[in-house]
Amino acid sequence: MKELEVSAKTVDEATRVALEQLGATRDEVEVTVIKKGKSGVLGMGAEDAVIRVIILEDEPKLEAVPDVAIIAKQVLTDLLKAMKIDATVEAIISAEAGVPVSLNIEGDDLGVLIGRRGQALSSLQYLVRLIVAEKVKQWISINVDVDWYKKRHYDALRKLALRLAEQVARRKHPITMEPMPPDERRIIHITLANNPDVTTQSTGEGNSRRVVIQSRKR
Amino acid sequence: MKELVEYIARSIVSAPNDVKVIEERDSSGVVIKLEVNAEDKGRVIGKQGRVAEAMRTLLRVVATKEGTRVRLEII
Repeated sequence: MKELEVSAKTVDEATRVALEQLGATRDEVEVTVIKKGKSGVLGMGAEDAVIRVIILEDEPKLEAVPDVAIIAKQVLTDLLKAMKIDATVEAIISAEAGVPVSLNIEGDDLGVLIGRRGQALSSLQYLVRLIVAEKVKQWISINVDVDWYKKRHYDALRKLALRLAEQVARRKHPITMEPMPPDERRIIHITLANNPDVTTQSTGEGNSRRVVIQSRKR
Repeated sequence: MKELVEYIARSIVSAPNDVKVIEERDSSGVVIKLEVNAEDKGRVIGKQGRVAEAMRTLLRVVATKEGTRVRLEII
């Protein structure tokens, strides 16, 4: 895909690696710093920088957004119709960084659309992005939600992250969270990125990847 | 279920006219057979099978609603 997450010692280093992998130049990509990284003292408390790199296409992005919202809404509506799900779709052009369009599905009994650990919803979102990308010849991060399930879930995760961070800071003892999908782990990392007391890190592979929150100072 | 696979496949391949979807029933439930142009096979499967997996997940949602099971075969 035209999106890449890279971690390295510094942001500059990570950017260099990402550009190399994508075969792009600096002005062809948008770099979002997820974690700044720290060099630490004598290697103690060092933390890798994490960045997300998205390849920008020739088209100026902002102008195309309203059109993309209309196309994306149509694609999702068609998909739901093909799934024989009775629901309406609302399109919101959002200011959230990197996610210009949000689609919210509303209707009764839509729990099936979320699925276990949100798996059905992430499949739906992936296919919407894929089909829209094919139509507009550009990869756009479209958010798909059901009755704002994800939004509420993310809000709850932010609260949980802050509460756990407080515990970690108080007890000076790391806490390992439950396994979570990438988007949820990202919420935890971002929420605690600038926290003075704790740092976060993901460990494990695949479906059992989880976030560890640990104390910044010894 | 056939319409769903047809819609997704036609939207992402380069030769939409070559997309053929057959829906059959056997003892274990519904079987969806998806046939695309040889050049498009990679697209409907996706990197590490991601597209096929997403299609299967959505098919499972529909099947569960209809009280049956479904299998997707890409030919």
